[in-house]
Amino acid sequence: MVVIIDYGMGNLFSVKNALEAIGVEAKISNEPDDLRRAEQIILPGVGAFPDGMKNLKNLDIIPILEEEVLEKKKPFLGICLGAQLLATQGEEHQLTDGLGWIKGRVRRFQVDESKFRIPHIGWNDVFPKKDNILFKNVHPPIFYFVHSYHLVPEDQSVIVATSEYGETFAAALQKENIFGVQFHPEKSQKNGLRILENFLAYKKL
Amino acid sequence: MGLESVIVISLMLKVRLIPVLLLKKGRMVKPIRFGEGGERDVGWPITTAQIYDSQDADELVFLDIEAGKQGRGFLLDTLEKVAEKCFVPVTAGGGVATLEDFRELLKAGADKVSINTAAMERPELIREAANKFGSQCVVVSIDVRETAPGHYEVFTSGGKNPTGLEVAVWAKQAAELGAGEILLTSIDKEGTMAGYDLELIKKVSDAVKIPVIANGGAGNRQHFVEAVNIGRASAVAASSVFHFSDSNLTQVKSYIFNAKVAIRPI
Amino acid sequence: MADFSHTRILNNLRRCTRCTLTETWETIVFDDEGVCNICRASEYKKTKVDWGARRQQLLDLANEHRGKGTYDCIVPFSGGKDSTFTLWYVVTQLKLKPLVVSFDHSFYRPRTIENNERTQRKLGVDFMKFRTDWGVVRKTMLESLKRKGDFEWHCHVGGMVYPMQIAVKFKIPLVFWGEPSAEYTAYYTYEEIEEVDERRNSRANNLGITAEDMFGFLGGAVTMRDLEPYVYPSLKELRSIGIKSFCLGSFIPWDVKKNYEIIHKELDWQGDQVEGVPPQYPYEKIEYQIQGPRDYLKFIKRGFARTTHLTSIDIRNGRMTREEAAKLIEKYEGKRPPSLDYLLPILGIDEAEFRKIAIAQAIPPYKHDFTNEQSDEPLWDMKLWDWNP
Repeated sequence: MVVIIDYGMGNLFSVKNALEAIGVEAKISNEPDDLRRAEQIILPGVGAFPDGMKNLKNLDIIPILEEEVLEKKKPFLGICLGAQLLATQGEEHQLTDGLGWIKGRVRRFQVDESKFRIPHIGWNDVFPKKDNILFKNVHPPIFYFVHSYHLVPEDQSVIVATSEYGETFAAALQKENIFGVQFHPEKSQKNGLRILENFLAYKKL
Repeated sequence: MGLESVIVISLMLKVRLIPVLLLKKGRMVKPIRFGEGGERDVGWPITTAQIYDSQDADELVFLDIEAGKQGRGFLLDTLEKVAEKCFVPVTAGGGVATLEDFRELLKAGADKVSINTAAMERPELIREAANKFGSQCVVVSIDVRETAPGHYEVFTSGGKNPTGLEVAVWAKQAAELGAGEILLTSIDKEGTMAGYDLELIKKVSDAVKIPVIANGGAGNRQHFVEAVNIGRASAVAASSVFHFSDSNLTQVKSYIFNAKVAIRPI
Repeated sequence: MADFSHTRILNNLRRCTRCTLTETWETIVFDDEGVCNICRASEYKKTKVDWGARRQQLLDLANEHRGKGTYDCIVPFSGGKDSTFTLWYVVTQLKLKPLVVSFDHSFYRPRTIENNERTQRKLGVDFMKFRTDWGVVRKTMLESLKRKGDFEWHCHVGGMVYPMQIAVKFKIPLVFWGEPSAEYTAYYTYEEIEEVDERRNSRANNLGITAEDMFGFLGGAVTMRDLEPYVYPSLKELRSIGIKSFCLGSFIPWDVKKNYEIIHKELDWQGDQVEGVPPQYPYEKIEYQIQGPRDYLKFIKRGFARTTHLTSIDIRNGRMTREEAAKLIEKYEGKRPPSLDYLLPILGIDEAEFRKIAIAQAIPPYKHDFTNEQSDEPLWDMKLWDWNP
C-alpha cells in the first residue's frame, strides 16, 4: 500500500489519481497505523515551507516518519514542497527548520529576475544522472515546475538530476531510499507517470 | 519526439501553450469580445480537456463565466472529473472572491486559482491567498480594453465595469501583492482570431517580473510566435483557434518549434 | 532568417529538403539539415527497429488469442489498400479468424464495393457493415467543415470508434488496425507499438470534436442516440475485455507499394482513378467518392495535396528522386475536382461559401489563389452515383 501524507498542503488527489492511472491503489492519510503499514510513502506539497513544517509538527507524525523512513528504510518520495522539507532549513518567509533528512538549505532562486521570472513556472529540461532509477525510460526528460525556492544540498552527490533556470539547481535528489523531486510528476503527463512508476519499482536493498 | 537527430533548441524553460475552456450552463462557450460579438457553443469541457491533454497541452485553464452557484458547481464537477484522467496543471477561476473559494477549487483539482474582479475590489485578497496557499497558486486575471490609442484600461465584472486603472499600474500592484502570474486578456481581441494585442502584452511583460500569460486574439500559428517574440509572453493562451480552425495543439506546437521558440516538442 | 526558397515546389512554401512535405504538414518539424521528422522516422524505421523482435511479439499476440472465442480478433475495414492488406495478412499469415467490421461512410465507389465482395469471397470471413443515418451524416459534415475545415468527422470518428464498440459488445479484445500513423505524421513514433485507443482518437483523429461536442453544436437537430455510434467506449469497458488495439504496421515494416502488389495478386484487388492523383498510384484512396474535394480542401488551406504525400513516401522508399516528385506535383496538384459538384448539394452550400470556409481555415504562411484554376478529369463512375442528396 502506498500512503500519500495528508498534511493540509496541496494536491493530494492529483497524486492519488496519477497512481490510479498506473494501476496502483493509494491511501491518503496521516494516521500512524497507515504509515506503519505503508510500503511506500509519498509527501506531496504546494505552499510555503514554514506552513508545511508547522502542519507536519501539529500532526505529530514526524517521529513515526523517521522510524519508518530513516530506520526501516521505507521508500519515500517528496514532491515539490515535500522534497524541500527534507532539508535542514528553509529560508522562505523566515528561517525554519526542516526534517533534516538531507543536509542542506532551501533558498530562493538567485537570478536576474528581469530575465528569469520568478516563480519558475512551466516545463523545463531535466538532466538526469546516467542510470538513475527514477528516470528509466523517460524520454524526453521535461517536467512541470512551479516554485520560487529550491533545495541546495550540502553533499552534491545526492543530486541525481539537475535543471537550469538562470542557475543550475537540483531537480531530483536521492539518498538511499529517500527521493525528492522538485517538479510535479503528477502534472507532467506521460513522463511524470513514469517517474512514479519507477519510484514504486525501487526495492530497498 | 525522441528521435536521435532531435535538435537541441536552447535547453531552458519552455513557453507554455494553454487552451482556455470557458464554462457556461453545462457546456463550453466561446464569446467574441466578451459577448459583444455573440457567443457559440464549443463543446463538452470534460472530453475536450482530455483531447487537449492527449495533444500535450502544457496547462489547462477553466473559467466559469456563468456566475452563481450553478456555475461554480459545474466548474467543481468538471475539475474533479478532469483530475481523474488528465495529469497536467490546471488553473481554475470565475467569480472567485474568498479564500474559501480558493480552497474549494484547489481541493477539486485545480493547481492554481485565478482571481479578477474580487482582487480589484479588495487587493489584499491577493496577499492573503499568496500567504495561505503560496504565490504560485495565485493567478491574477486582468481583462483590458484599449480605450484610447496606446491607453489600456482594466475592466472588471466580465468586461462590463471600467475601473479607470491603467493596466501596467494594476499589474505591478498585483505582482507586489504576491501574485504568481498574470493572465492578461484583451477584450477587444477576444474571439476575433485576428491576432493578439502585442503592444498590450509587451507593456505588461515589461512592467512586471512575474510570468505573463497572453490571452485573447490568437487565430493562427504565427500569432503565438509573435506573442512570445514581440510580446515577451511566458505563456500563450487561446480558445477560438482550437475550436474554429484546423489547428490542434500538436500542430501549433510543431509550428512554434519550427519557428525556433522553446516549446515542449510533440 | 535562413532562406528555404530552394526547397519550393509549385508554390512558396518551405519543404523538406529530402521529401516534398511542406511546412504546413501536420506535426512537421525540420531539423538543421532541413530534413523533416517524418523522413527521420522513416530512417529510424529502416535502421533502428528490431523487426525480428516485433514480428515475434506479433506471433505471440496471435497465439495468445487464437481459438479463444468465436472470433480471434477484429479487423476494422474500409476496403482501401491498407485495411485489405491487413485483413489478408491476419487471415493468411497469422491464421486468425477475424470479425471484419466495416464502418460505411456513405460514400463508397463501385469498384471498392466490387473489391470488397471479392476479398470476402476469397478470404472467407464473417463481415459486418454498418452505416449511420444519412441525415445525421450530412449535418455533421457541414458542422465539421465550418469549424475545422474538414467535412469528414463522421468518417474519421465512425471508422475508429465503431469497431471498438463492437469489440466491447462481442467481447473481442484483439483489434488489428493497418498502417501506423508514424508513416505519415509525428503524433506517434516508430519507437513504440502504436496503440489505437481513445488518446489516439483525441490526439490525431476526431478533429478535437467528440460526439458530445457535436451534439451541442447541432443544437437539437440530432439526439445523443443519433450520435451513439460515434461515442468512444469507456476505458472501464475496454479494460474489462482486456483490449489490445494495435497497428499491424508496428509489428511488420509497412510498404504500401509492396502491400498493394500482394493484394492485387492474391485477391485481385483493383486500383482506381482518383482526382488529383497521378496514374502510377492506382491504389491510393480509391474507396471514397469525395476524396477529390478532401484533398482539394487541403490544398486551399495548406498548399499541398495527395501527390505531395505519395511522392514523399516513394522518395523515402528510394523509388523516386525529389526532382521527379516535383514534376508530378506541378502536374497533378491544385486542380478543382469535379466531384465537388456532388458534395456541395449534400452539404447544402454553394461553391462561393465552400471557398470562403476553406480560405478562413488557411494555415499560415500559405495563401491560396484561385485564379488560373484548372479542372481535373471527372471520375469514370460519377455518372453512376446517386445525385439526389
